[in-house]
Amino acid sequence: MAPKKDAKAAPAKKAEPAKAAAPAPEPEVVAAPPALDLSTVKVEFTPDQQEDYKEAFGLFDRVGDAKVAYNQVADIMRALGQNPTNKEVRKVLGNPSDEEMAGKRLEFEAFLPMLQHIVNDPNKGTFDDYVEGLRVFDKEGNGTVMGAELRIVLGTLGEKMTEAEIDALMQGQEDENGSINFEAFVKHIMSI
Amino acid sequence: MSEADKFLYRDSGKVANPLDQADWATKKLVWIPSETLGFVAGSVKEEKGEECLVELADTGKKVTVNKDDIQKMNPPKFSKVEDMAELTCLNEASVLHNLKDRYYSGLIYTYSGLFCVVINPYKYLPIYSENIIEMYKGKKRHEMPPHIYAITDNAYRSMMQDREDQSILCTGESGAGKTENTKKVIQYLAHVASSFKSKKDQGELEKQLLQANPILEAFGNGKTVKNDNSSRFGKFIRINFDVNGYIVGANIETYLLEKSRAIRQAKDERAFHIFYYMLTGAGDKMRSELCLEDYKNYRFLTHGNVTIPGQQDRDLFVETMDAFNIMSIPEEERIGLLKTVSAVLQLGNMSFKKERNSDQASMPDDTAAQKVCHLLGMNVTDFTRAILSPRIKVGRDYVQKAQTQEQAEFAVEALAKASYERMFRWLVMRINKALDKTKRQGASFIGILDIAGFEIFELNSFEQLCINYTNEKLQQLFNHTMFVLEQEEYQREGIEWSFIDFGLDLQPCIDLIEKHASPPGVLALLDEECWFPKATDKSFVEKVVQEQGNNPKFQKPKKLKDSADFCIIHYAGKVDYKADEWLMKNMDPLNDNVATLLNQSTDKFVSELWRDVDRIVGLDKVAGMSDGGMHGATKIRKGMFRTVGQLYKEQLSNLMTTLRNTNPNFVRCIIPNHEKKAGKLEPHLVLEQLRCNGVLEGIRICRQGFPNRIVFQEFRQRYEILTPNAIPKGFMDGKQACVLMIKALELDSNLFRIGQSKVFFRAGVLAHLEEERDIKITDIIISFQSWCRGYVARKAFTKRQQQLTAMKVIQRNCAAYLKLRNWQWWRLFTKVKPLLQVTRQEEEMQAREDELEKTKERQQQAEEQLQEFEAKQQQLNAEKLALQEQLQAETELCAEAEEMRSKLATRKQELEEILHDLESRVEEEEERVTHLQKLKNKHEAMITDLEGRWTVDIQ
Repeated sequence: MAPKKDAKAAPAKKAEPAKAAAPAPEPEVVAAPPALDLSTVKVEFTPDQQEDYKEAFGLFDRVGDAKVAYNQVADIMRALGQNPTNKEVRKVLGNPSDEEMAGKRLEFEAFLPMLQHIVNDPNKGTFDDYVEGLRVFDKEGNGTVMGAELRIVLGTLGEKMTEAEIDALMQGQEDENGSINFEAFVKHIMSI
Repeated sequence: MSEADKFLYRDSGKVANPLDQADWATKKLVWIPSETLGFVAGSVKEEKGEECLVELADTGKKVTVNKDDIQKMNPPKFSKVEDMAELTCLNEASVLHNLKDRYYSGLIYTYSGLFCVVINPYKYLPIYSENIIEMYKGKKRHEMPPHIYAITDNAYRSMMQDREDQSILCTGESGAGKTENTKKVIQYLAHVASSFKSKKDQGELEKQLLQANPILEAFGNGKTVKNDNSSRFGKFIRINFDVNGYIVGANIETYLLEKSRAIRQAKDERAFHIFYYMLTGAGDKMRSELCLEDYKNYRFLTHGNVTIPGQQDRDLFVETMDAFNIMSIPEEERIGLLKTVSAVLQLGNMSFKKERNSDQASMPDDTAAQKVCHLLGMNVTDFTRAILSPRIKVGRDYVQKAQTQEQAEFAVEALAKASYERMFRWLVMRINKALDKTKRQGASFIGILDIAGFEIFELNSFEQLCINYTNEKLQQLFNHTMFVLEQEEYQREGIEWSFIDFGLDLQPCIDLIEKHASPPGVLALLDEECWFPKATDKSFVEKVVQEQGNNPKFQKPKKLKDSADFCIIHYAGKVDYKADEWLMKNMDPLNDNVATLLNQSTDKFVSELWRDVDRIVGLDKVAGMSDGGMHGATKIRKGMFRTVGQLYKEQLSNLMTTLRNTNPNFVRCIIPNHEKKAGKLEPHLVLEQLRCNGVLEGIRICRQGFPNRIVFQEFRQRYEILTPNAIPKGFMDGKQACVLMIKALELDSNLFRIGQSKVFFRAGVLAHLEEERDIKITDIIISFQSWCRGYVARKAFTKRQQQLTAMKVIQRNCAAYLKLRNWQWWRLFTKVKPLLQVTRQEEEMQAREDELEKTKERQQQAEEQLQEFEAKQQQLNAEKLALQEQLQAETELCAEAEEMRSKLATRKQELEEILHDLESRVEEEEERVTHLQKLKNKHEAMITDLEGRWTVDIQ
């Protein structure tokens, strides 16, 4: 099982730092999943759901053209209960450049199949995975990690989170010693 | 404390940096060889067949390197690791990098498995104070950062615990710090194992033990190009302990004193320190007593007075003399020593001339000879004759044989060297006597060996052969120890494993040097040649080639013009030897006529130095030296004399026997640069030494086994993440868990072994696991980050939705107001509203509420008062109760008194009655008295009457 995991993980790691430095290896990633043709995605949401989604979608429209910016798409999907990685979202958006992310806009009809794609292939991480993952940073082996350490981990590894995101995330989670019971923490995160 | 900590502990903050970890994993960092830096870091960009495209980390240049030249880099987790055996990638580059990293951070000690590697810091470090000694006392090796104290303490504890003798072996190039570290070992032991517990009052023995060093250094050390205080001899210090672990005595054995330093020095070098101490420090009285002269008058001090920056020879002379005092070496012995030193210098001033019509030597000016004889207590005429025309045995007769100028000069030099050596040996013997006077029985000992490491010069001579031979044997001892220890660990852990005994690897080379026969080794052949008439260095080489030509460790020089005579392939590398003067060096001949004179010297000290003169090789025995065939023809019986090679072989074999019976601890000293500069490390120089002193060899052997071992619990904690679901929930014993984990990891069965408490891995396997773990963690983190982002987004969205709802409410209200605003009824309503009763309701309510508030206040006041009164009442009640109690008590008292009173009254009554009775009795008695009186009166009357009558009657 280990090698299988490897194959999947390796490109993920490679692409990550490259994104910040130079978007050179990205075409390679584009070429890799040719299956991502959104026209083949069948939207299976009920009309009620679609109505809800449309309303939510509308909430993100700051301009009033019934569209949202590319860089808001991820947040809408998340607001609608999904947990895609940034990379996955970029993939469904057709791997746009940073300027496109900020400048391009998307209408609801184009958004739906994207959401459907994410829903079809949800984030498979489990509570246990995360607890085990965070246990690595448990220096004392007592089920807690230091908040400061967790901030560094989330801000420097993987898809680095911004300080604002981390602040919003960690609000009220640290105890008086600045440590966090990570089982409770993960449970809390996954409850909403 | 913190000052010293800097030089002991690596800064852990940097180690935990997850960024470095990520960097290492993504960039595939490796080491590639570099001309100047040893190795440089680079990241593998592309692999094509046998070659790799590597981008250098600091310059960004891309180079193509052969795959075999690439050495793997360790994960940053191992940065500045304290024990290099833990390194998962064990290679030259990583070892060098780790040592360099630590050295630059001021960490000079590093473990490498069984070794402790120490790099000369060339500056003072605050890590040798008594506080630090206390810190290391009784701690296990892994509990404290690497230090010579840790090694020493370890040896001391094992000695106490296992009752096994210990040895600490310091080897390394000149200037690497062997002697300094040896001193630290002694300092530590003198502190820890002293029977005198207070710090100030160190025991005399401990003091003497510490003072032995300055004396030995004064006489046995000198300045060389590499090292201002270079020990020109090897030594083995044996410190004996009693059963309680207290020092009871010590013994020093010395090896291979470079006695030629006494008569000749290379440029920028000095003879032994004592020459300079004495010439600078001696007072006028001593100067005349010792016949001292000015520096420039001595031929043996090749470069006159060479001084050492920052060292005052005058002060050191006083110090040395003080040390003699502490050693309780008396004045006359000290003078004896110095006289010999002075005599050695004077011998150099004896000059000879060739006589005009013959080859004979003559001595036109015998001032120097007179001084020598004065100092050594000889007759000048006898001495001069012994030098110029000694008596030599021919057949059965003795004849006088005139010497040539060269022969005379050689004889004098040999005499000077021999005198110095004998004096040094005597000194060591004397120190030993001083250190061995306690009567307490020694139970075990710790031996400290301080001896030069491998020497590989361009051309090497007999001295190098001796020292390299020694190191070959010491390395063999190390390999064997390592084999035994590994074997034991594997056995303890129950691992199936056929270990190769690397201790035997070096045997062919040792045989090549020391074997007696079939085929005889180099030393044996040399001895044989010495006894062979007309043998020369050349004939010796021919013999060696003939006997050992096929030995794989032996090589003939490739080309004829090659200046080397033969090569020996030592484990540290190929060494070229030049056999010039080997016969002479091996025989070390001496003018036996003079030796006899010295033996009979009028000076007690001198005659003691030359006590045994029967086994020295006389000048006449040296075939090569004799000019004609006349004496050379006498074949000398083997075994009659002892050659230098023989003596040394014997000494070494004794040492090895001693060491083999001890538990050895290895300290490898490394010189970082040849400029005596602090903070500078020349990579190639260090690499060369690592190769020579067996650190890399040790690693090579390590790689054959399972160098990475990790205890079950740690293995599980660190790598469980790689094998999700492999271990069922709930308790599971460590070993079982690890078995399951390894099964899930699908590792090749040859890559690991599972022992009783640890998992063993081949080199590099852990690095691979580490890498996978890294990728896995990043994977999980990304997934978790997505959840976190989802959480944050949903929280924000919920907030926005709530805001939306609120907004809608406000909107509705606003819309309603806009509609109503202009409706007449509404306007009327707003006008009328203040007039309505209903609108005043609020005011009324307010008033009521105020009233209520006031009432409440009043009530509260009343309540408070009530409470106060109640409290007062309670207090009064209590008082009343107290008074009542008092009253009761009084009443009781009163009743008691009343009762008493009545009792007394009754008593009075009774007594009165009695009185009354008695009164009436008195009355009665009185009446009776009266009555009797009356009776008496009556009777008297009667008597008178009768008397009267009687008288009457008579008449």
